[in-house]
Amino acid sequence: MKSFELVRPRTLDQAVTELAAGGAMPLAGGQDLLGELKEHLADPERVVDLKRLEGLDGIDVDGEGNLTVGALVTLTALEEDPRVRERFPVLAEAAASVGSVQIRNAGTVGGNLCQRPRCWYYRTEDTPCLKRGGTECFSYAGKSKYNAILGGGPSYIVHPSDVAPALRVLDAELELRGPGGERRVPVADFFTLPSEGDVLKENVLEPGEIVTRVRVPALRGTWRSGYEKFRERDSYDWALASVAAALRVDAGRVVEARLCMGGVAPIPWRVAKAEQALLGPLRDESAWTAAGREMVRGAEPLEHNGYKVPLARAMIVKTLRRLTT
Amino acid sequence: MSSTPRTAAAAALQEGEAPRERIKVTKVVDGEVVEEWIEVAASDDAPRWQAREDLRLLDSDLRRVDGPAKVTGRARYTHDVRLPGMKYGRLVRCPYPAARCTVDVDSATALPGVRVVLTIDDGETRYLGQPVAAVAADTPELAEDAVRALAVRFEELPWAVTRDQALAEDAAPVGRDGNVADVRTDGDLDAAEAALATCDATVEATYEVPVQHHVCLETHGVVVDYRGGDEATIYASTQWTHVVHRERLPERLGLEGSQVESVVEYMGGGFGSKFPTGIEGRMACELSRELGAPVHMMLTRRDEFLLAGNRSGTHQTVRAGATADGKLRAMVSEVDKLGGIGRGSHPGLPYVYDVETSHLRIRSVLTNLDSNRAMRAPGHPQASFAMESTVDELAHQLGIDGLEFRKRNLASLVYHRQLDAVAEAVGWADHPNKVGPDTSDSEVKTGIGFGVSTWGTRGRPACVVTVRIGPDGAVTVLSGTQDLGTGTRTYVAAIVAEELALPLDAVEARIGHSSYGAANGSGGSTTVPCLAPAVKDAAHKARVAVLARVAEVLGADPARLALHRGQVIHLERPDERLGWAEACSALGADGLTTTGEWVASLTDAGVHGAQAARVQVDTLTGQVKLEKIACMQDCGLPLNRLAVRSQINGAIVEALSYGLFEERVVDPDLGVMLNACLGDYKIAGCADIPEIVAMIDDEDTRGPIGIGEPPIIPTHSAIANAIFNACGVRLRSMPLSCDKILDGLVANGTWAGGEA
Repeated sequence: MKSFELVRPRTLDQAVTELAAGGAMPLAGGQDLLGELKEHLADPERVVDLKRLEGLDGIDVDGEGNLTVGALVTLTALEEDPRVRERFPVLAEAAASVGSVQIRNAGTVGGNLCQRPRCWYYRTEDTPCLKRGGTECFSYAGKSKYNAILGGGPSYIVHPSDVAPALRVLDAELELRGPGGERRVPVADFFTLPSEGDVLKENVLEPGEIVTRVRVPALRGTWRSGYEKFRERDSYDWALASVAAALRVDAGRVVEARLCMGGVAPIPWRVAKAEQALLGPLRDESAWTAAGREMVRGAEPLEHNGYKVPLARAMIVKTLRRLTT
Repeated sequence: MSSTPRTAAAAALQEGEAPRERIKVTKVVDGEVVEEWIEVAASDDAPRWQAREDLRLLDSDLRRVDGPAKVTGRARYTHDVRLPGMKYGRLVRCPYPAARCTVDVDSATALPGVRVVLTIDDGETRYLGQPVAAVAADTPELAEDAVRALAVRFEELPWAVTRDQALAEDAAPVGRDGNVADVRTDGDLDAAEAALATCDATVEATYEVPVQHHVCLETHGVVVDYRGGDEATIYASTQWTHVVHRERLPERLGLEGSQVESVVEYMGGGFGSKFPTGIEGRMACELSRELGAPVHMMLTRRDEFLLAGNRSGTHQTVRAGATADGKLRAMVSEVDKLGGIGRGSHPGLPYVYDVETSHLRIRSVLTNLDSNRAMRAPGHPQASFAMESTVDELAHQLGIDGLEFRKRNLASLVYHRQLDAVAEAVGWADHPNKVGPDTSDSEVKTGIGFGVSTWGTRGRPACVVTVRIGPDGAVTVLSGTQDLGTGTRTYVAAIVAEELALPLDAVEARIGHSSYGAANGSGGSTTVPCLAPAVKDAAHKARVAVLARVAEVLGADPARLALHRGQVIHLERPDERLGWAEACSALGADGLTTTGEWVASLTDAGVHGAQAARVQVDTLTGQVKLEKIACMQDCGLPLNRLAVRSQINGAIVEALSYGLFEERVVDPDLGVMLNACLGDYKIAGCADIPEIVAMIDDEDTRGPIGIGEPPIIPTHSAIANAIFNACGVRLRSMPLSCDKILDGLVANGTWAGGEA
């Protein structure tokens, strides 16, 4: 990696000032950034270590059941928190599915949301990948096994976060802090499609801006939620396809459904019609099939990822089967 | 203590008769183990393995003598060597599959901490990642900076990185004589075609095996301790201590061979890729010579993937047929070995099974990628995949179960008993769908598949082993061999301890120094058959010599003395006993030194092996879950049963990883390797490894035979067959990944998710 200056601020104000100075990148658990530095995908002049900031490593549930998770909370802490497990199982399960124990012990919630793509063209310095300022998305005509079937173009990355689809079905908001102050952005608006936002980025963060907190509103009523992730390799792997689902159940019927997929699109992929298909009797296999079809409607597989279409549908069936049993 | 003689020879000695002994020997004739009894003189002059029931240490489970050093980090690997004034070396790779390059040396030497830049080949490169320069700097980080700062002008030349590109009419020339090399045919094509036409079942298929990487935990490399002057030590992560001299590395330092000691005390995996010290070894010496200072030159992980060897890929087209009664009648095969600029490995088809009439055309197709190197049973896993798949496809067509079909086409009864053993271990008898895929309503299907292996290398005179016994009774055994992770150090000590009737920890095994004596490289499962006889010979001579000296002191007939449980005993006067240390005081101040060499009668050759895999396939997601893999392997006398089982376990893990995950991915248009790191080149981790049943075939009573290669040969084939047996999807290309299974289920109309 290139030599850099390590800055270790103690306050959020200092951190934001340091990050705004240009040529700087934030470091939290380091599970993604260190790889980027070693592979020269990122060559910052200055690395701003956020781990000494106070007040960003807590998990709180207020009297109304609203959850706040600091960006520096580790995935292990999130996965093991009894309140999260009980009230928001989809979030605990998503956290538990990330990487390996070692990665979860170091990796943070904020870092998981802001990690860069895993596409091997992006990760190989020798390719002039579109997302690194190059001219072309090579996966489109190249080795596309792990790339997007939905929402692709001009880049065909998939977003690698497991936590993001879970937060998406929980209608969570992110608290951001940057040179321009603090703002809140729904997870729904945080991630950007390559065709809509800056193709060099995956989200709306401005230069110098970081995620500071995740806010999850309390779920009212009786909810069932869960996260299912298909890994090619059990030991640790990113999702080939994953499903976050949350169902509000009343009198044996699904009265509200939220469904979001990871591993298939450049952003967490949520489709309203797929959710509507699930409304009705609690355990209705034809509804799962219908939801799956809606979810992958318009899919445009590349040469090597056609399998993701049946896989996505399969994972929806798996998830709903578990949640309605 | 009882003085009951423990062997026939001892009994004969007690009775004062000329000792004769009947012993059972075995040999392999046409793959068949033949046993016979012969009568030999029970002379103490000829070393002989004791009867198995008489062994205390060998043929039992021995913990590795160097285990604690390894797990506590005390063991010093080449990577761990740190020396005063040491500089760190790095290689500069060519980013194109072929290029003309010009290195501007001055562009990096100006950087602070960068000590020297040397050009390797200021001309044309022939493979992706070929080193063009080497740098040395004060720290690894500065060396990396120097690599990036070095200005190299590359002019890309035409290249071919895939088989199709290499075989295209207008293909870029990879080799001097074109892109096809070493074409060989075997058998009568007309006869094979005619036989094929008479078969009751035929299969025509192409089986593709990708390139696999060795992924040694310790990367390749050396540390050269040269500080000017007339001597040097070269620490090398190699599977052949003496390769340093064989490659004439001392000359690179301007020294004679005798002025250089090579050291391989511990090494972190080789699997065939670490016979040569390669460009990194040569350049480390040149950098060190230039600087007059030690140089640490270990490859990076990316270097490993690009320039440190691989298991060649293979493209195999097979047409084969069998008769209705399940006999393989004909096989016509075309095999292309894909070893980059190397020639690839493949033993040919048919593999192991008896096929009445066959024809083979085998050749190397060259591409502008790093040369393959030996990798654990070179070529055999590739051949196994095509052969076992063909066998399975024919068995299925004929409605014969995979176990029965195999037995009908394997003459050796050793295979039959081993197949039966592994079948039992995975629950074959109760398996409901033996002849075809599971057609039940269950979404998760269970399948069982089989595979067999063979390996035939034998020992040869290659090792000279020294046993030293001090006047205090300290026993040291020295050999210039190396332990590439297989437990060499432990069995070297155990053979000597067994012979001298001492506990294992009473013998110190010193290995991995070139000055400890000649030894062969560890490869092809030849370490045991070359080394074990020489160790036994040296130990045997030491025993005879010790008894002779003690007999002098006691005024006894040496033939009446024996070693037993750390004591010298007199066979007729059991009360006259000497403790080992006390007895060794008779050796005088210099102690005793013996040397041993290879003894043909102490080893054997030719092994079999059978494996069965039981898997579950989720027909909704295409996920394969390995449930159990069983292996039975013959290996003659197991020197250390625990180490033999570990070899089997390790081979199966490596092979299932090969089968399920591993594949070098090169973009055919960009000429760039896309997964040259362990994040993207996936290997199995703990959660991917099922229960493994490793069984030693104890009906094999021969002398010790190496066990490294054979258990890696058939695992992935057994898994592929089990996947078909479970869900009816025949995967003819590896890795056996979920995307292909899902595509197959959808194509077969058996996807559990309904209409695609």
